Amino acid sequence: MLFFFFADNIVMNSETPDAELILLLDRVALHDPAALKALYDRCASKLFGLAIRVVTNREWAEDVLQEAFLNIWRSAGDYRASLSPPMAWMGLIVRSRGLDFLRRRAAERTHVTQEIDEVLSDTLEGDAPCPMDTAQASEQAWALHQCLGQLENRQREVVSLAYVRDLSHNELAQQLKLPLGTVKTWIRRGLDQLRMCMARFA
Amino acid sequence: MNLIKNPDLLDHLASSYALGTLRGGARRRFETMAREQAPVRAAALIWQTRMASMNELQPQSTPAPAVWTRIDNLLQGELQAQSLLAKRQAASMAANVKPGIGGWLRSLSLWRGVSAAGALATVVAVVTGLNLRTQMGGEIAQLQAKLLTTPQIEYVAVLADDKSAASMLVTFDAKSKKLTLQRVGGFLEAGDRSLQLWALPPAGGPRSLGVLGNDKLLRLTAAEGDVREVPTLAISLEPKGGVPSEGGPTGPVLFKGALIQKML
Repeated sequence: MLFFFFADNIVMNSETPDAELILLLDRVALHDPAALKALYDRCASKLFGLAIRVVTNREWAEDVLQEAFLNIWRSAGDYRASLSPPMAWMGLIVRSRGLDFLRRRAAERTHVTQEIDEVLSDTLEGDAPCPMDTAQASEQAWALHQCLGQLENRQREVVSLAYVRDLSHNELAQQLKLPLGTVKTWIRRGLDQLRMCMARFA
Repeated sequence: MNLIKNPDLLDHLASSYALGTLRGGARRRFETMAREQAPVRAAALIWQTRMASMNELQPQSTPAPAVWTRIDNLLQGELQAQSLLAKRQAASMAANVKPGIGGWLRSLSLWRGVSAAGALATVVAVVTGLNLRTQMGGEIAQLQAKLLTTPQIEYVAVLADDKSAASMLVTFDAKSKKLTLQRVGGFLEAGDRSLQLWALPPAGGPRSLGVLGNDKLLRLTAAEGDVREVPTLAISLEPKGGVPSEGGPTGPVLFKGALIQKML
């Protein structure tokens, strides 16, 4: 397992997709619209996938993606100071805009209704292989990918949802229609395994 | 509690904190310790960074092509607004270079007045430019006079084609809730086509403000809420009679421009 990870890592290093994205972000910081278009062409699918995962449907995710790219346009000058891989930095922007979107919606609605969730349906069913997608992920994300791959399917799913949607144990139990104790146990076990595994990559 | 002497507990708390499942009082206590003790803060940052990778591991999905069109429209609106702002500032600087009045020049109310005057100067300059370029008739002169004298016109936009030639002058009178559109270019759509005016708000898709007839001077009814905080207006070429607002434009965008709120 470890051997394969390092082999992958060497391939990543020789391609350095990060370097290319960093150059584009530098140009966006200078307000070059062509650079934003190039960045969009490279990253939109990845970031749109994340937006769908946060806000649960494509229509809302389109609004989130739009806001996120205008945000990237305005704040690309701050990118280098973040010391993050470019995809991680853009991912944080998309997730924040998505969470803002959900908060605005929650504030607009006094009664909470369960929206149709295009993501959750059947993610907890069966035990498919790791659905995590490493395309265009930064090198930093590979360690987490390896460690998440060792978790049981539903543990991985609960941990991933807790982070991406910023949900508490209670909220997770509600959204997944699971007993609170089950959610707590899955999160604790998942996190413990993740900690042991990540320590090896530290 | 000395977390630094208990690395396993520190790691546990830092990972729960970064995941977001550490809540309530436990979260606040952890935050306080992180502010006070650098090793706690470091553990939190390491786990935040690790968890952020979760964002990069989600399955991909291709967005509809219209999403980029919307982003690009807003971007062009923003760039246009910025260049107008720069021109406005240049105009107000040029109008007010007087030596030996340093303190007075820094007065805020003066600068507010000056920038308002600059905005008006920009409008005058644009309108004058149009006047020279396109042999305008009496209607346009009338509109120009109205633009300068009627305080109710609060929003102005000059919509240009892709070669930056002005093609449509738009004013909005909040009092009568009327959008006035003035064709200033030579463009005439084919008989089976209509021009449709769209607001491009910062969030969400384009909203139709109405379909244009063939007259040189056109009026549409709009609420101020339709126009306020909209950075850009655009005109698309659509099938005769226009298309429903919900679906957004289906034809090419022929003219677009920044919507400027008049300051006087």
